[in-house]
Amino acid sequence: MLEALFPSDDFRLLAIIVALPLLGAVVNGVFGKRLGREAATLMGLGTIFLSFCLCVATFFRLAELQEGERAARLVWHGWQWLPLSPYRGGPGDQIWLEFALSVDALSGAMSLVVTGVGFLIHLYSSKYMQEDPGFTRFFCYLNLFIFSMLVLILGDSLPVLFVGWEGVGLCSYLLIGFWYGEEKNAAAGKKAFITNRIGDFGLLVAMGLLMFYVGALDWKGLEAGAENLLQPQQIWPFGSHIPFFDKLGSFGEWVNTPRAVTAATLVGLALFLGCAGKSAQIPLYVWLPDAMAGPTPVSALIHAATMVTAGVYLVCRMSFVFVMSPAAMFTVALIGALTALFAAMIAFAQNDIKKVLAYSTVSQLGYMFLGVGVGAFTAGFFHVVTHAFFKACLFLGAGSVIHAMHARIHDTDASQDMRNMGGLRKYMPYTFWTFAVSWAAIVGFPLTSGFFSKDEILLKAFTSGIASPLPDGKVGIGAREIEIWQWPPWAGYLLYGLGFVTAVCTAFYMTRLFIGIFFGEFRGWKIVKGYKAAHGHDDHHDHGSHHAELGLAIQGPKPHESPWQMWVPLAVLATLAGVGGFLNAHLFHLHPFDSWLEPVFADAAKHVKLVEGAEGYVYPLLGLAVLAFAGGVGAAYYVYVQQRGEPAQRFTEALPGLHRAAEQKFLVDELYEETAIGSVDSLADVAVVADKWVVDGIIARFTAFVVGAAGSVLRFLQNGRVQAYSLSMVVGVALIGWMLLAPRAEARTRVDDEKGVYSVTAAPGLGYSYRWDANGDGEWDTKDYAAANEISLTLEVAQKRTVSFEVKNALGQTAMGEVPLERPKPDRSGAFEPAPAPPDGAPPPDADAEQNAERALKIIENLPGIKQPPAPPASGEPQ
Amino acid sequence: MNPLIDAFFGFAPYLIAFALGFLIPSKRSRFERVAVGSVVAVSLLLIRALWPGPVVDAEPGAEWKPLLTLIVFLPIGGSLFLLFLPRQAPEMLKRFTLGILVLDFLASLWLFGVPWTKGWHFQHIAEWVPSLGIRYHVAVDGVSAWLVLLTTLSTPIAVYVSFGSIKTRIKDLCFSFLMLQGAMLGAFVALDLFLFFVFWELLLVPMILLIGVWGGVERIKAAYKFFLFTMVGSMLMLAAILYLVYTHNQVAGYPSFDYLALSRLVLPATPALLCFLGFFAAFAIKVPMVPVHTWLPDAHVQAPTGGSIVLAAVLLKLGTYGYLRFCMGLFPGPAGQNAANIAGVAVAGIIAGALLAWKQDDVKRLVAYSSVAHMGFVMLGLCAANDAGVQGSVLQMLNHGVSTGALFLLVGVIYDRRHTRLIREFGGLAKVMPVYTALFIVITMSSVGVPGTNGFIGEFMVIMGTFVSSSLGMNAKLQGTIAAFGVILAAVYMLMMVQKVFFGPLDNPKNKKLKDINVREVVAIAPLIALVFVIGFFPNLFLSRMSEGVAASIQRFEAGRRAYSVDPGRKQALMVPRLGGPMERGYPEPKQEAEAAAPPAQALNAAEVSP
Repeated sequence: MLEALFPSDDFRLLAIIVALPLLGAVVNGVFGKRLGREAATLMGLGTIFLSFCLCVATFFRLAELQEGERAARLVWHGWQWLPLSPYRGGPGDQIWLEFALSVDALSGAMSLVVTGVGFLIHLYSSKYMQEDPGFTRFFCYLNLFIFSMLVLILGDSLPVLFVGWEGVGLCSYLLIGFWYGEEKNAAAGKKAFITNRIGDFGLLVAMGLLMFYVGALDWKGLEAGAENLLQPQQIWPFGSHIPFFDKLGSFGEWVNTPRAVTAATLVGLALFLGCAGKSAQIPLYVWLPDAMAGPTPVSALIHAATMVTAGVYLVCRMSFVFVMSPAAMFTVALIGALTALFAAMIAFAQNDIKKVLAYSTVSQLGYMFLGVGVGAFTAGFFHVVTHAFFKACLFLGAGSVIHAMHARIHDTDASQDMRNMGGLRKYMPYTFWTFAVSWAAIVGFPLTSGFFSKDEILLKAFTSGIASPLPDGKVGIGAREIEIWQWPPWAGYLLYGLGFVTAVCTAFYMTRLFIGIFFGEFRGWKIVKGYKAAHGHDDHHDHGSHHAELGLAIQGPKPHESPWQMWVPLAVLATLAGVGGFLNAHLFHLHPFDSWLEPVFADAAKHVKLVEGAEGYVYPLLGLAVLAFAGGVGAAYYVYVQQRGEPAQRFTEALPGLHRAAEQKFLVDELYEETAIGSVDSLADVAVVADKWVVDGIIARFTAFVVGAAGSVLRFLQNGRVQAYSLSMVVGVALIGWMLLAPRAEARTRVDDEKGVYSVTAAPGLGYSYRWDANGDGEWDTKDYAAANEISLTLEVAQKRTVSFEVKNALGQTAMGEVPLERPKPDRSGAFEPAPAPPDGAPPPDADAEQNAERALKIIENLPGIKQPPAPPASGEPQ
Repeated sequence: MNPLIDAFFGFAPYLIAFALGFLIPSKRSRFERVAVGSVVAVSLLLIRALWPGPVVDAEPGAEWKPLLTLIVFLPIGGSLFLLFLPRQAPEMLKRFTLGILVLDFLASLWLFGVPWTKGWHFQHIAEWVPSLGIRYHVAVDGVSAWLVLLTTLSTPIAVYVSFGSIKTRIKDLCFSFLMLQGAMLGAFVALDLFLFFVFWELLLVPMILLIGVWGGVERIKAAYKFFLFTMVGSMLMLAAILYLVYTHNQVAGYPSFDYLALSRLVLPATPALLCFLGFFAAFAIKVPMVPVHTWLPDAHVQAPTGGSIVLAAVLLKLGTYGYLRFCMGLFPGPAGQNAANIAGVAVAGIIAGALLAWKQDDVKRLVAYSSVAHMGFVMLGLCAANDAGVQGSVLQMLNHGVSTGALFLLVGVIYDRRHTRLIREFGGLAKVMPVYTALFIVITMSSVGVPGTNGFIGEFMVIMGTFVSSSLGMNAKLQGTIAAFGVILAAVYMLMMVQKVFFGPLDNPKNKKLKDINVREVVAIAPLIALVFVIGFFPNLFLSRMSEGVAASIQRFEAGRRAYSVDPGRKQALMVPRLGGPMERGYPEPKQEAEAAAPPAQALNAAEVSP
């Protein structure tokens, strides 16, 4: 039935899947307040649940198709969205981009995770946010987020993906700043949005480059034309050369040496910038820890399970582009591994449980990039799925804990501090057990989901790499030929080493968190000494704002277990986190997940190479993974349970600098503040000064000053005294008279080329007399001046002559003038050239007519699509 | 079967849309409900009516020729008629003005009833001064039609908003707005350079009145600055126009101010460059591009809300429209040679505008500088000179009109309540003005260019067009990258402002009692909000109608550029052959005796007889 209703080339079900959450968002956003909480909950949950069911249906439909064909894809074509021009396209040459959605194995799996986990978190939020005055607004944003996320996943082209990509960024912005009354929440939202925008900039550039090299932005077109990315692209210098440096000798020459990389590397790096922004990788990870300012379900849904994995999804989606460039892939893997380790180190020293989980998320995202970076796309993506389960569960569990703590300690920060917790195992059994399972998954307890996914990534990091896309390792022709950067042989050791250390660290700090929350004695009877002063949070209207005296016991209910709407999602997620690993348990030769995704990565897999004897590494590395888990957990158990935290205390005292640095997140935020943000800030200040004083100063103020100054000077002349006016009149009349009296030697010529008769007439004037040199011998014809102002003479053909004359005025001043004359040769037809310019100076309309016609003809020949006029014979031919 | 039932089903979607829109406002007046409902229904109507279907070749006779004349002269005639109405009856004056403007809007909707094929539509030609070759020649193509619609949409909104906040000199206000409307429309539809210049100058007068009479404290200074800046450019353009007409007379043997005739001229390099610069100066100041943008912030800050809306939504578009139509149409050679340089200036404008906006403490000044950045995108797309770039530019003109117009409208809302626009005076407004905040954030996102809103489509198409542009040469990718970087900065300055004004604690006691957005303001902004999403999701409605017009412009540009490059060192002006077809419909044919002496024929004859 599904097939009849929704044929695979016009799979409208996708539109419904996407539209349902949007409907929920619009209804909740516009009418939510009037509908009330119950209806808003129903709307929010119902639409997501329906969407989830439809995703399941789509999944089965896809499974049916996948059996027959290799890579199945269901497409809904939507509508014509916007036109793009191909490179070197002529006028009217445009490619219409469709607003189309499509689903294949990869996006099918991801959409299940998003709607499934999304629904559970919606259910959880319906209780968690119950008391909040912005309840309907919250569900509006949450539904809008699911809508955007589905567009991101199901988009059939990069621009449609980009709609979802920025849409989730927008929702993230709105939800981080959900409690906008506090400045820091709003600031965190803004930081997230702008950091993400830096990534989006990368994505825009990547799209531009793809448009240039491939000429398409939809998956099909990109897949078909990805080979075109194997071209050199000059990245330095911009333009032809850097102007000043070419005069600097050998240094300038070095500066101006063209440097090129393959287009695939550029595109890959630009795409990865986008991924780094969205998925919080170095250098753009700084927004994610701050994003914890949002409500905890948001942290679970957006900042752990779904949105932040969009970057990994994009790398998988564009895998066929990434594998064209070993350099880009190595960058992805290395950045991933470094981020994983760096974030894990910061997580050691955090006490805010959400912050610990946030850094752990950054670290796990690093793992995913490490996986996809070495070409293990399925392994990386599998970690996306398992991470969605266990991290969502951890965050929701943390939310449950905070919910309980917040009832006691009415301070957002204090209620999230693990130093105020401990022993909660007794009070919150469901939360404890679900948290325990997820903890087991993330630390890599054997046979849990995290164990399988992480192990696979570490194994692949050691054994696989990217082969050169072209056999000879060179692209380009002639002088533009460049060598493709090759995957280094030591990469496996480096990446595996980083990943292994991170695994130990993860096990340690997650155990520390786990013990800190649930074991020992409950420490929240009073707020720990030395806790930072509680500050106002008047916007948290739902709870009053009475601050406990620090260090004194506070009144309040005991921590309590959460209602079923909150622990049921926890239980479901914990189950998945526990057993989900068997979807891809290569250890037991059980890998439905792998075979499901195989067709998607079939093309990319051809570019992945394995080291010699890769099979043999499986068991040794498995042993190491178990060792990492056991070592990390054991160490944490020793430090925090057996020694009650004393070794940690001693370590802090021994190396206070290192601890403080880790606690303050290695001051990366401050570093960015001082460098990147600071320099843009100074640039803006310079721009303001330049705008006010240079631009406006020169264009407006200076011109106004010049005009004003000229006016001030001229004002002296307009002083209202008749004497001054008459003086200037006299001076003026005298000057004009002098000019009029000065003799002017000007002449007009009348020409008759045919007869050879030329007459020259000198301009008349008051009291003028003239003398002439008509024969051009340099001697005056008469020594005396006479009244005759006109002479005429006859010239032979081709004869030249210069006639001179002198004018004398009544005062005896003289002026001399010359008139060159020439009688031209007749042309072949016997006609003479047209007469020289007529006296009024205007050229005749048909001057240079012949030349003009030639040009006109040339232009006609060169114009495309213009009818040839009845062409005259070419002018060069003999007649 | 039953026509009544058919009619019901035909209208049902609109009725449902109306009902939904009717329900949107909570606890508000019926008038507001009806207005919002109508906006929703009309948006649906727009989407369905404009949805690209099979192209029907309608006969050109189907166009009612005087429509454009009606659209242009309805407000001008109205403004003259208004002079005879009593000053003491402001309500009547207001109704009359709004009535005229709404009629004008409805009339302009009619423009979109015909298929937008290549060439000129609704062409209306009449002799004016035959001895000088001046004609009354108005027509629209796929580019200018949208700008006409933008004008007829934004002026009523601006006027409606102004009636809420301006209480003095109503008659003069109505007169100015009507005259301004007519002049702007005239400038968009004129295809005779003389006529264009008349309208171009005419619109200065009501605009400086709007700034100078109803403006802020330094209104006179701002009005002067606006006038003088614009005037400098205008004079240079006038000189270039006269040179062109003179040359046309020399080459073709008869004078003409007609765009179609003058665009055939290919001038020698130096005069071509000088004339190009003359036109470019006029348009660059109007756009405004850096570094001649400094009149804009002053004018915006001092102008009343209504004036700012028109200034941002329409007046600036005259600069970019002029560049596309006249600079690129009349001087393809110099425009093509300098495309990369002008694009560089445009890109500098994107970055500088954004940086400057970031550092402003006055919201209106911030929005004014953001205009500089946005218009930089428009100029960049025009310089890219390919379909995606130019269509993106034209769409970006509409987008900027919608979103910046809406931003000025919204800034006017808090100005009316607090009589200040300084960012530091506000904070935490989201708590007291939730609806206003929601609308402001929607418009902010549109201005920032978040996908799904109109702003994204324009910027995206321009950036993509820039990357593949061949007229920008090897700078294309670099300029595209920097323009894309401007997208980050847009988020920086807009969100900085939003955070400081709307979020955080509600500290200032003066803000604690602020009233949320009122009926008049909601009604005024509703169409703009609807457009934000309609353009964001269905830009094809607009793009498919402008694509032929844009392609024709580019074709004219490319052909002229090639003709120019055949012999760059020419000493004499010449005219390229007639293109023919719909693009030259309404060409000013020479009179019979003049035609005999027309140079192309003579030139060809001369070629025949020459050795």
